[in-house]
Amino acid sequence: MLPEFDLVMPENLQQALENLGQRNPGVVPVAGGTNLTVDMRSRRHTPATLVNIEHIQELTGILQEDDRIEIGSCVTIAEILKSPIIAAVAPALIEAARGFANPLIRNRATIGGNLADASPAADTAPSLLVHNAQVELWSKKNRRILPLDEFFVGVRKTVLQPDEIIKSVHVPKTNRPSASSFYKLGLRKADAISVASVAVYLEKKNGACGQVRIAMGSVAPKPLRAYAAEELLTGKHLSLKLIEEAAKLAAEASSPISDIRGSAEYRRRMVFVLTRRLLTHLAEMMELKDW
Amino acid sequence: MSYVGESAIRIDAVAKVKGEALYPGDFNLLGQTYMKILFANRPHAIVHSIDTRLAESIPGVIAILTAKDVPVNEYGLIMPDQPVLCGPGSNKPYADRVRFIGDQVAVVIAETEEIAAKARDAIVVDYEDLPVVTNVHEAIRPDAFKIHPDRDSNVFGHYRIRKGNIEEGFRRADVIIEGDYSTPVQEHAYLQPEAGLGYIDEQGRVTVVVAGQWTHEDQHQIAHSLNLPVEQIRVIYPAIGGAFGGREDMSVQIVLALAAWKLHQLGINRPVKIIWSREESFIGHHKRHPYFIHTRWGATKEGKVVAAEVELIGDGGAYAYTSTKVLGNATLMCTGPYEIPNVKVDSYAVYTTTIPNGAFRGFGGPQGAFAAESQMNKLAEALNMDPVDFRLKNLLQEGSLLSVGTPLPKGVTIREVVEACAESAGWRFTNGKWSKAVPPQNFERYQHLKRGIGFACSFKNVGFSFGAPEQCMAKIELYGQAEIERAVLYHSGAEVGQGAHTAFVQMAAEALDVPLERIHLVASDTAYTENSGSASASRMTFMAGNAIRGAAQLALEKWAAEERPAVGLFQYRPPRTTPYDPETGKSEPNFAYGYVAEAAEVEVDIETGEVRLVNLICADDVGKAVNPQQVQGQIEGAVVQAAGYALMENFVQKDGEVLTRGLSTYLIPTVLDIPEQVKSIILEYPDPIGPFGARGMGEMPYLPLVPAVTAAIHDAVGIWFDDFPLTSERVCNELKRLKLSA
Ligand SMILES: Cc1cc2nc3c(=O)[nH]c(=O)nc-3n(C[C@H](O)[C@H](O)[C@H](O)COP(=O)(O)OP(=O)(O)OC[C@H]3O[C@@H](n4cnc5c(N)ncnc54)[C@H](O)[C@@H]3O)c2cc1C
Repeated sequence: MLPEFDLVMPENLQQALENLGQRNPGVVPVAGGTNLTVDMRSRRHTPATLVNIEHIQELTGILQEDDRIEIGSCVTIAEILKSPIIAAVAPALIEAARGFANPLIRNRATIGGNLADASPAADTAPSLLVHNAQVELWSKKNRRILPLDEFFVGVRKTVLQPDEIIKSVHVPKTNRPSASSFYKLGLRKADAISVASVAVYLEKKNGACGQVRIAMGSVAPKPLRAYAAEELLTGKHLSLKLIEEAAKLAAEASSPISDIRGSAEYRRRMVFVLTRRLLTHLAEMMELKDW
Repeated sequence: MSYVGESAIRIDAVAKVKGEALYPGDFNLLGQTYMKILFANRPHAIVHSIDTRLAESIPGVIAILTAKDVPVNEYGLIMPDQPVLCGPGSNKPYADRVRFIGDQVAVVIAETEEIAAKARDAIVVDYEDLPVVTNVHEAIRPDAFKIHPDRDSNVFGHYRIRKGNIEEGFRRADVIIEGDYSTPVQEHAYLQPEAGLGYIDEQGRVTVVVAGQWTHEDQHQIAHSLNLPVEQIRVIYPAIGGAFGGREDMSVQIVLALAAWKLHQLGINRPVKIIWSREESFIGHHKRHPYFIHTRWGATKEGKVVAAEVELIGDGGAYAYTSTKVLGNATLMCTGPYEIPNVKVDSYAVYTTTIPNGAFRGFGGPQGAFAAESQMNKLAEALNMDPVDFRLKNLLQEGSLLSVGTPLPKGVTIREVVEACAESAGWRFTNGKWSKAVPPQNFERYQHLKRGIGFACSFKNVGFSFGAPEQCMAKIELYGQAEIERAVLYHSGAEVGQGAHTAFVQMAAEALDVPLERIHLVASDTAYTENSGSASASRMTFMAGNAIRGAAQLALEKWAAEERPAVGLFQYRPPRTTPYDPETGKSEPNFAYGYVAEAAEVEVDIETGEVRLVNLICADDVGKAVNPQQVQGQIEGAVVQAAGYALMENFVQKDGEVLTRGLSTYLIPTVLDIPEQVKSIILEYPDPIGPFGARGMGEMPYLPLVPAVTAAIHDAVGIWFDDFPLTSERVCNELKRLKLSA
């Protein structure tokens, strides 16, 4: 049973921000509600007031700008899945959406809710991290744009203030030849919290590896980048040996825990396996393979 | 016109698709009250006192019942070893203890569910913890803490089989394979958690509307605990959201009846409603038994199995439930459908302080089959023989003796089934031998993916075994003048989602030669329908069909004699079975069987340990497919459920606590996890005593799946897994340990 709460239905963003602006921790936004209702039923959260933001126009839709796309925070995973704009700019995010929950949840779950919830297993995070995404945060008084990497603080903790919401997620575009991919390892093929996940973004430059970014989910208190592995690869020709070394560095950068879904040891090993697999796959795809 | 053999549209299809079918939780009556159960939530303790004063003071609380309120505080399907409510003041010895976390301590009846829950949480129980005994190998020892102090030991079931001379058998053997197998707990995870409504009906009967598998057994158990005549109890089954054996034992039945009855005695004539949450369902009903099987088999180099020695230990959990019967089946199935001259089996059912284990599709068969088929596959490998060819040299035939020293009933078709499955899976018979003609295809491009094919076969009894009383009743009324305008079939058989009621109607139409639309079914209400036994043991179609045929014949005779309505009431009794001889196990265990074989193709990701079921072929001799579509549904459903058992379903218990208390941690297969292809091969070799030739078949496709999958994994990567579920991590670790993964 859900605890009792008040529901506010603001008509526009301004009204929503007004409501949240009371800085009352008992007032929280709700988008798809797929995390919040679960948390409320288990009494992990017992907010007094929910501000429903899901239909607010300023928070929906995917905007094309010259240098980036802006995904409204209330865009659902189902919308991401069928967006040609996102497919062109951030293919890894499409793959993340494909393995996300189940069709019913995907129809409700939003990208903003996924990031704000900040689960270490949030499936959109690794892909957005490797695409250098930024979050645009609005409150009644303030607006700011942050790299996603600085947004997460720890297990289900972010820099979001109680009066602040995610307005949109920015994903930069590039003219350089690039590709990205994401792999989620779960205990089953659908409706599973990931045991470990990895996203990789790769650019091609002068026949070698240009910028490369690697991010991992479910293997640390927050989704995180594998900077050392990225550095090792940048500017290099990609041999299998080099890829393997990078995968090792990624695994070393992870700090998984053991829980009912998997041991820390297995998770770390999977970071290695998945990183190697994705790098190999992208190198082949981009004709960067040096083996 | 033939009605049997047609894929008639299910009689419950439209209501279920439209959401109009009513399940137990959907029933509401004016003025109903709500019940919540206080579960022990600790594995083993003496209950010194239960203080309900604070709870009773909460406005809206109507009554709180504890052990002292139960007229006869015991129940159980096989033996009454479980208190209805655990606590002091009980009229049965040692009923003041809780023995697993789901033991029921008190029930609260209140104006709303919220109030009932609040009052439940306000009950103060003084427990004294007792030793937690979760390891069956410790529980079996003579000096172990006795979970039921009125018994000599924690062993509450034991069978022996002695056939031939086991030492002599091993002396003749050229190869001997020894193995230690263990099988996991499995949760039924049916769609509909336990629920029901209890009230006093217009004739003063204590009535419960619930989901179960055997109305008349529920009725008897309720009557026993309430100390009321059986006729004063009424059990009604509406639509049931799955059962799989999980509703063979009581969950909410007795407490609902008790609550309605106690309120009535207090002068409060109000219905009582309860709906369990998924978590309550998880801890509140039994699971599939974990088994520990130590076994040694020997074969000659010509490929004859000459000796099989098996020790089985079944973890019964806190109470008996159907453990002894499950053990009986496992004891028979653990040597497989093979003629083995020298057999020695010792089996034990043992109490522990975990959730009780009981009936679940296959009923001991899957555990036995896993050990038997794994042994066969390993022996074949050791003998350098094809696993199908090796099996065919050893299969039971008409007249050959089972481990229990008697032949199978007539109609033995395991050979036909094995050959049909093998052929379809790419085996060929050439130069006097069966061999795999088409090895699994591996992909050059994906070096980390390895494919393999495995084979297994089984037999499954139809109906109650080993001397258990077995019968089924049906009544038919024929209305009309010159022709039969309407036939009413009265039957108690539970429609648990398997399509039984549709099969009943088809068989009645066939027996009466009356169109389906003219058959009207009155089902599963002890006020109107007679005892038909349980929807379990793959027996319902077989037993009901014979009863319906008998009733139809009687009714038609009366119809011919111009009686209107013409009424036929018939009790079908199958051939007698006999219990295990205590020394040798000699017995006539069953009156009918079904036969099954499976071939599984898997793909193992040797880097992540993920196992994918690519292709599954299941050949079943069902005697006669009364409704082929439903038969296919049973095959596919069983295969999917067994696939979850093999690869995924991981019920984690620690020190008697359950760590997987819901469907977000206890994972069952989704549509993306099930085998990509399931080919059902339906064979129809009639059973000589089956109705229209039908054999029971709801369980058997489940049995060979796990050993077929482990054999396929072995074919792919060269590792034998002797326990499961084969989660990715488990497989990965083993590959790593054996350095088979990069
Ligand atoms: C069955 C099931 C399966 C799931 N499977 C997956 C999965 O595979 N992968 C995965 O990553 N997750 C999964 N989830 C979790 C959940 O669906 C996702 O995290 C989803 O994206 C949350 O979005 P929402 O809109 O439903 O969030 P809500 O529940 O509405 O909100 C979640 C949190 O974010 C806050 N919030 C919401 N929107 C904003 C905003 N714009 N600005 C600031 N704060 C905001 C809310 O206050 C709340 O604290 C699953 C959940 C369920 C129930």
